[in-house]
Amino acid sequence: MKNTLRNIFHSPRFVVGFVIFMAILLTTIIYPLVVTANPLAMIGQGNFFKPGTYVSVKDTVTSKTYTLNIEAVSNIADQLTDTNKEDMRTWLVKYGGVSQEDMDAADDDELVELWLENYDSSVTQSGLTSSTKKAYVRLNDTILSLMDDSDVIIASENEDGELEESDSISTKEYVNVSDVTNKKTFLLGTDNFGRDVLTEMVNATATSLRIGLIAGLVATLIGLSLGLLSGYVGGTFDNIIVFITNLFTVIPSFVLLILITYSVNQSARGATLIAVVIGLTSWTWTCRSVRSQVISLRNRDHVNLSKLSGHSMFRIVVTDILPYVASYVVMALILQISSGILSEAQLSMLGLGPSTSTTATLGLMMNWATAYSAHLNGSWWAYFPVVLTITLISFSLNLMNTGLDQVFNPQLRD
Amino acid sequence: MKITRRDFLKGTAAGAASMAMAGVLGMPVMASESDGSTPRNETLYFSGQQWGTIASWNPMDPNANNAMGIMQGDSSRTLLYETLFMYNMLDGQLYGLLATDYEWADDNMSALIVHLNQDAHWSDGTAVTAADVVATFNYHVNCESSIGLDIINYVSSMEATDDYTVQMNSVLNDDGAAANYMMILRYTQQMYIMQEAYLQTVEARCETLADMKTDTMEDFVGSGPYLKYFDDDQKVVFIRDDNYWGQAESMWGCLPAPTYIAHTIYADNAGGDTALRAGEVDVSQQFTTNVQDLWEVDGLPITTYIDEEPYNMAATMPSLWFNTEVEGLDQVEVRKTIAMAIDYEQIRSSAMSNQSPSFDDVPRSTMNPTDGEQALIDADTIASLQWASNDIDGAIALLDEAGIVDSDGDGIREYNGSPLSFTVECPTGWTDWQASLEIVAQCANEIGIQVETYYPDASVFYDDLYSGNFQLIMNSPSGSSIVCPWLRCMQYLSSTYADLEYNTSGNWGKYRNDEADEILDAIAVTTDDDQLIEYYTRLNEIYLTDVPSVALMYRPQLFYTVNESVWTGYPMYEDGSNIPPTDCTDGYGIAALYNLVLVEELE
Repeated sequence: MKNTLRNIFHSPRFVVGFVIFMAILLTTIIYPLVVTANPLAMIGQGNFFKPGTYVSVKDTVTSKTYTLNIEAVSNIADQLTDTNKEDMRTWLVKYGGVSQEDMDAADDDELVELWLENYDSSVTQSGLTSSTKKAYVRLNDTILSLMDDSDVIIASENEDGELEESDSISTKEYVNVSDVTNKKTFLLGTDNFGRDVLTEMVNATATSLRIGLIAGLVATLIGLSLGLLSGYVGGTFDNIIVFITNLFTVIPSFVLLILITYSVNQSARGATLIAVVIGLTSWTWTCRSVRSQVISLRNRDHVNLSKLSGHSMFRIVVTDILPYVASYVVMALILQISSGILSEAQLSMLGLGPSTSTTATLGLMMNWATAYSAHLNGSWWAYFPVVLTITLISFSLNLMNTGLDQVFNPQLRD
Repeated sequence: MKITRRDFLKGTAAGAASMAMAGVLGMPVMASESDGSTPRNETLYFSGQQWGTIASWNPMDPNANNAMGIMQGDSSRTLLYETLFMYNMLDGQLYGLLATDYEWADDNMSALIVHLNQDAHWSDGTAVTAADVVATFNYHVNCESSIGLDIINYVSSMEATDDYTVQMNSVLNDDGAAANYMMILRYTQQMYIMQEAYLQTVEARCETLADMKTDTMEDFVGSGPYLKYFDDDQKVVFIRDDNYWGQAESMWGCLPAPTYIAHTIYADNAGGDTALRAGEVDVSQQFTTNVQDLWEVDGLPITTYIDEEPYNMAATMPSLWFNTEVEGLDQVEVRKTIAMAIDYEQIRSSAMSNQSPSFDDVPRSTMNPTDGEQALIDADTIASLQWASNDIDGAIALLDEAGIVDSDGDGIREYNGSPLSFTVECPTGWTDWQASLEIVAQCANEIGIQVETYYPDASVFYDDLYSGNFQLIMNSPSGSSIVCPWLRCMQYLSSTYADLEYNTSGNWGKYRNDEADEILDAIAVTTDDDQLIEYYTRLNEIYLTDVPSVALMYRPQLFYTVNESVWTGYPMYEDGSNIPPTDCTDGYGIAALYNLVLVEELE
């Protein structure tokens, strides 16, 4: 046993897979101890806030300020893009009454001046689409806000309910971010419901791993016991089991999975039930492989010897046959876990997963990200880390599996 | 049918290539009827209207699945068939289409006299006459179409007083006045006028009158500016009728700008969304998450009706309906506390992506957020009945006070010994509704009322809704319409609908209140504004006290996002055109088609 373990941990593939898997597993265990917030809490009011640290505006205004001699607003003309400037020139010549010669002669600073003098959104701008007209209004707003280097006045309501100036902020005043009490960091932004993607994803990964483990165990347990029995007992019993197994092999298990989950109402459709259903529909190939191995084992000398010694069937199966198929079963279990996680993701993508308001799973996160077109909006943080996690989990499990194969499979042994 | 990435790329490449060829060689790109392909710069492309293959062209067929061609509602779609009038949701007025004007026969409004436009003719060239209008009414009634079954409650009969004058006789109440004058006006902008001669042809080929409803009318005769051109499971294309009567000076004075109207049938929202971004769709009636990013971040030539939040004109409010016949939900406290617990701000900002005014800006009532309707209630009177968003503590206190508590410690409160556990329903794939209901479920669970979501197919959803087979359900009442807010109040409160076995009309939660019924009847015959304000305010007191349903958000009647890479001249907020943002197709919004110009032809 010790020797086997040492062999296993000498397989580089296994070790890489194992490290990745343990890293993910440990994250799901340790992270919730550090961040205790409810992973389903809807914090952001809006869709897909981008990753970063959000500091309270109120706190920023009231924090201790430091005056830094930095010219905050540099030249406005420098802050405009070339396209902006080109657009401005076109507009001024076409609708602003500026002659082409004046325009050509104007440098960037003069351009801004001309713009401020001549731009008027209410001019009839025949030949412009509505979206272009609106874009000019926004460009003008940008220029005006860049121009504005006056102090920002902070006012608060006095006892009579009138506004009274309490403070003014100049462009040279700064706060130290560590002085701001209320801030929130979203390392991976928020999702469409305004949930913190990282916290939700860690929680979802734990759920998905649990689903995978339960599904894998259920499938392996059923596959193993039926395979052992049918292989060892043989005869009519074997025929019946093979018949059932073939039946389940022919019916696409995913269709079966969809039908079963669809018929169960949502309150019962928790993560555990989904896991059991996945397990119940994916045991067939474990059963078939175990059965064929057992058939080749059952007439070996040591098995016959046990039979002659009058050992019970249970004891023969457990002590004389199981150890020979154990390595295979462990490898099958690992693959079953991996495919269980993928099945959950697929089911949830179809909207047949557990309920969104009570559980987070990786599949549900992808489902909602797609529904709110995160992939079209460029909100990569809502789906890419999820996809990456799923990939890493199944990649690590598959690596562990091939690593084990290298150790146990005599044909691959060095 | 799913469009794969490869098909998509092939399509765009081929499209670009053929456009380029035409440009270089100066050849006109000929439309080909065999595959429905049309030149890009003569075609106005839509998305978000037609889902699935068209089944029928028959305005009486309830299962026509022909949203692009047949949509008879609060603002009817008049591309193929036309109505007598067009409704303009901006000013609440009716504008003449097949008719020029109307008048009431007397003060009791015992009959509506409608004068037809004498220039109007069918696509086969024959004139549209009063006889056609009368025949349309009679066939609807005799075939027992859904319009026919409803219109006879308001219009007893129609007669042609001369070739171009129709008299619609009102159903009278006990006082000898029109039972409901608003509904008569409504049908003048809702019911498509069909050709008498054609209807007789259809009758001749059908065994019974009822069979006429399911005749597919592939060979229909309409009066609208477009004709059916091509349709299959991939797309729908209409071609302009260059002989359209509306080019007469008495109507539009010209033909609509696009030669073709096309709608590719997308598998899902994402398909339409991608096409809109790529400039393959001109007018999109789809919900787009963070729609402002399309122009602010991506810099695309895309815009919505309004440039700022909420981007579109909100005119309806999808609501959560409580089935008041279900134990637990028959208790006002339970309904009200669920309503109090809901985080409306979260629904507005995340499920609706901020494309909706908040209930702080427009306090909840049976009125939509348009100025016209808001003017009909006294907001101060009902202000004390409002509740804050996500008032969990208040809801818990109210439930505890009512003695509805969790006595067995499982986290779910009981009423009469049975746990308060409900299912809330909306069709699958309606993502913003699904997201709203997830928020509802989460909020209700916080106050100890278990709510789980259930998203069946749309057909199952409608069957559940109409047959009352639900506990909580989400659905929209009428939006902007000539009969609103009265009709919407009926849908929220009228017990006449509660008595129907299969109820497609409203009040799906079967709420009953005699006072509300009396007020609703009174409103139907009232024209005095002060009196109306009094009635509507009282109705809202009842509504906010008994909470038979609760609005979850305000929503535009139609989403309206346009891509200006090919066409421009779309109606925009406060542009002085008075054309409503009804996607260039519905009600008076069709006027937009006559203002469109090609971007390439702009100076």
